[in-house]
Amino acid sequence: MRDLRRFLKRFRNMVTRRRNDERLKEEIEEHIALQTAEYMKAGLPPAEARRQALLKFGAVEAIKEEYRAQTGLPFVETLLYDTRYALRRLRKSPSFTITVVLTLALGIGATTSIFTLFYDVLLKSLTVANPGELYRLGKEARCCYWGGYSQENEYSLVSYELYKHFRDHTQGFAQLAAFQADDPLLGVQRSGGTESAQSYPGEFVSGNYFTMFGISAYAGRLLTSTDDQPGAPAVAVMSYRLWQQYGSDPFIVGAVFNIDNTPFTIVGITPPSFFGDTLRSEPPDFFLPLNSETLVPQADAGDLNQADQYWLDLIGRIKPGAEPTSIEAQMRVELKQWLLSYQSEMSANDRAKLPEQTLFLRPGGSGITSMRAEYEHWLHILMMVSAFVLLIVCANVANLMLVRGMQRRRETSLSVALGAHTSRLVRQALTESILLSLAGGMTSLVIAFAGTRLILLFAFPSARGATGIPINASPSMPVLLFAFGVSLVAAVVFGIAPAWMTTRVDPIEALRGVSRSTARTGALPRKMLVVFQAALSLVLLAASGLLTAAVHRLESQRFGFLQEQRTIVRIDPGLIDYQPNQFTTLYDRIRDSLSSIPGVAAAAICQYAPQSGNNWATSVWVNGRPAPGPNEDNVENMVYWDRVTPGYFSAIGTQIIEGRSISEEDTATSQHVAVINEAFAKKYFNKENPIGQYFGRPELESPRLYKIVGVAQDARYLNFDFDKPIGPFFFLAEAQHDVVPKTGGDSNPGSHHLHDIILVTRPGATVSAAAIRQAIVSVDPRLPIESIGTLGEQVSNQFRQQRLIAKLSSFFGVLSLVLASIGLYGVTSYNVGQRTTEIGVCFALGATPAQVAILVIRRALALVAVGLALGFPVALAAGKFLGSQLYGLNPYDPAATLLAILTLSFSTLVAAFIPALRASRISPSEALRAE
Amino acid sequence: MKRKTDVPQGTLALMILKTLDVLGPLHGYGIARRIEQISRDVLAVNQGTLYPVLLKLEQEGSIVSEYGASENNRRARFYRLTRDGRKQLQAELRDWEQTAGIIGRFFELKAEDLS
Repeated sequence: MRDLRRFLKRFRNMVTRRRNDERLKEEIEEHIALQTAEYMKAGLPPAEARRQALLKFGAVEAIKEEYRAQTGLPFVETLLYDTRYALRRLRKSPSFTITVVLTLALGIGATTSIFTLFYDVLLKSLTVANPGELYRLGKEARCCYWGGYSQENEYSLVSYELYKHFRDHTQGFAQLAAFQADDPLLGVQRSGGTESAQSYPGEFVSGNYFTMFGISAYAGRLLTSTDDQPGAPAVAVMSYRLWQQYGSDPFIVGAVFNIDNTPFTIVGITPPSFFGDTLRSEPPDFFLPLNSETLVPQADAGDLNQADQYWLDLIGRIKPGAEPTSIEAQMRVELKQWLLSYQSEMSANDRAKLPEQTLFLRPGGSGITSMRAEYEHWLHILMMVSAFVLLIVCANVANLMLVRGMQRRRETSLSVALGAHTSRLVRQALTESILLSLAGGMTSLVIAFAGTRLILLFAFPSARGATGIPINASPSMPVLLFAFGVSLVAAVVFGIAPAWMTTRVDPIEALRGVSRSTARTGALPRKMLVVFQAALSLVLLAASGLLTAAVHRLESQRFGFLQEQRTIVRIDPGLIDYQPNQFTTLYDRIRDSLSSIPGVAAAAICQYAPQSGNNWATSVWVNGRPAPGPNEDNVENMVYWDRVTPGYFSAIGTQIIEGRSISEEDTATSQHVAVINEAFAKKYFNKENPIGQYFGRPELESPRLYKIVGVAQDARYLNFDFDKPIGPFFFLAEAQHDVVPKTGGDSNPGSHHLHDIILVTRPGATVSAAAIRQAIVSVDPRLPIESIGTLGEQVSNQFRQQRLIAKLSSFFGVLSLVLASIGLYGVTSYNVGQRTTEIGVCFALGATPAQVAILVIRRALALVAVGLALGFPVALAAGKFLGSQLYGLNPYDPAATLLAILTLSFSTLVAAFIPALRASRISPSEALRAE
Repeated sequence: MKRKTDVPQGTLALMILKTLDVLGPLHGYGIARRIEQISRDVLAVNQGTLYPVLLKLEQEGSIVSEYGASENNRRARFYRLTRDGRKQLQAELRDWEQTAGIIGRFFELKAEDLS
């Protein structure tokens, strides 16, 4: 209490700048007068009496000092004073200040913008109530569909049956919710509206989904358990973003929307901060109850009532005090019980794998983290790269500060000679650094915001749906704190060396001329900084070279199909009510209609075009060999396949090496045929001739389903495993339906929903999207067109991420190179200035200008050489690390490393050339006179 | 010659408070004289150190100051104890006695007391 009162008084004194000096002076005078009178009374002569009185009083100046310290708040006052002083000094040298602030802003901005992404993707929790109570099923995200009664490694997806089993039996959960792992596009049209159907991502969720997350509706209401019952009225919840697109129309709540041609009533709007359960680039715009899945069957979701169709993710909120590990143990038991109850329906392989089936619970506060897993490595790499750049920036600024310190040596030594404390001088220097850094940090926020926006734009250019990527470029509180923290750390990093230099000033220097000083104080730290910068630049340049080379290699690899003049039109025939046998006619008509567009050379349709990322996979049973056992029935032995119309191979530009391609002669009634790729032939037939052989699928219990009629060149269909050779692949005819032996029905009707039309345009011709749409509408106006784009785009999109990383690191590499060159230039020209006399003497002794220039350049090169020697092992280690992160990256690519070394050496030459030129032009007589 | 120890600030503050308590309002010199009389040589040199302490006590609200006339009829600043100051003095006194008691008992300690 007393301390507070005192503090307030002192604070007020400080603010009002009240000085009690006058009062103290009065009191001292009074005191001395009284004491003198006392001594005089004792008989001393007046002069002696006053002298004694003064002696007794003590050191007046020291007491005044203490008195002043008591009056205000000296620490704050000094801080304010130092700040004012630093500001004044910075204002006096605007070019220095602007250079430093901008350099720092670049460094801090780069780091902050990467951190914004890092924070949003890796650290942020879902915006839901108490995310710490949420637990999800599965160590790793598995997208998005699984069939059968076993899952590899762990059960991470569940069927509706299994969800109900867990929900009804697990005690530890307050709420356990399930939701679709995928968020497929839905065809959406406002009922009674005039505009055509639009595609928006949507998701089926259990009735307690929103209750579990603990969020409430922005408008209307969210889903409840009563909505998620068989036969309940079809209702849906819309995302806030999409609602905004509809002009925040209050009548949306209660309006009817046709979703995949089924009327749904919108009952509510989600809160603006809610982006669903998963951080993804295309968050759902519609949330539908699980039970309405039967109204709009999805090709890539399971049938709601099929126990072995796994398409749901689980997140639960545990009861307060419940132990997640015991819930996990309980759920493992429940899983076994559930599997045992389906034992009679299992395949032999599933039954054999039953004992090893298990599951894991993990904290689910950040939702399902597939995106996290996808980007984690990259963000870590980028974070490191930007930290390197920031270090180089700090080194550069430290260099500038050191030069500044040198110029102020005389001033500093005068201060020391006048009795300034070293701590006070260091404080002053650090205050200046911190001010510069904070200014840099503030400016950096603009750069960070723009940078993040730009990166997001490059990384996710074509997000579907209204919501867009739920990553906010504008700085949030943690990001602001981060930038502030980084600024302070940077200030200490670049400010400590110059501040330390001030303590090493000899006051005697103030009395001598500075130019007479023989000691080259500060030369060593500055040289070390240049070496350090060169080393870091080498690492960054080498790394960006490796990344760029790797991306180039990925893009220029042999794909096995042609990208030029190929347009992909994506349709969804699954959404129109055709009978399975009507599709062949539909596809024939589409091909005819499209082929008649002027400029179109050919058209063919396949289930999924190369690099679309959707191909189906199956096990293969080759005729004459035993059926694959449980050990072979796994992901490694899966063979991907595609279903195509006649003319497909010539349209996509894949050569048939042997036999024939799939043609018009392969009809529903003729022998079922397949075309295999080279890898298939090699794996299953080795040196035998595959043509005329048969193979089938274990799940259809037949090895004689398809007769091989041709072998096609290997082509890259999958958009992963780029580091591995192309795997086995086969193609089936669209007209031919697989038959389930027991029932006689089609085993895979969905595979006849061909999604990708390949259009080959004539050289030089362009075909408008409108013409394509018109041609398809003329066949069936109900057929939804999802997208129209070139095959080249589809392929290059696969490497967008890698390209972005390569571009960013190249940018950072060039930035570091420029900064390092500036640093080197600064050091070299400063040294030349310092050694003017020496050079003059050299000239006087007969040195030629060339010799002097070489002397200067050699010194600069020597510094960089040390930097290269230090940086080289680090660059190798970085390359090795990157090699483990990116396929196609050769960590020991000599070309990339050599290029980095050459680039750095060349910039060194350029940076050293100007000072060298200046040195070679020094006139000996002037140099000697300068003394 | 006895070495003049630096007076701990807290002690000096306590002495000031007690002096003002006993003698009523006094100016700085008067306080210094009284303390000198009682403690002999604590303030024999460095009388001036009194003034920062007076300022601190005033800021804390233990004393207040106002102008008055000194013995030689000059304008001088007189310090007076406040109610807060009196309370503080009493509290400090209690503390002091307690501490002194404990230390005193330790000094009287004999080996047999602990056996």
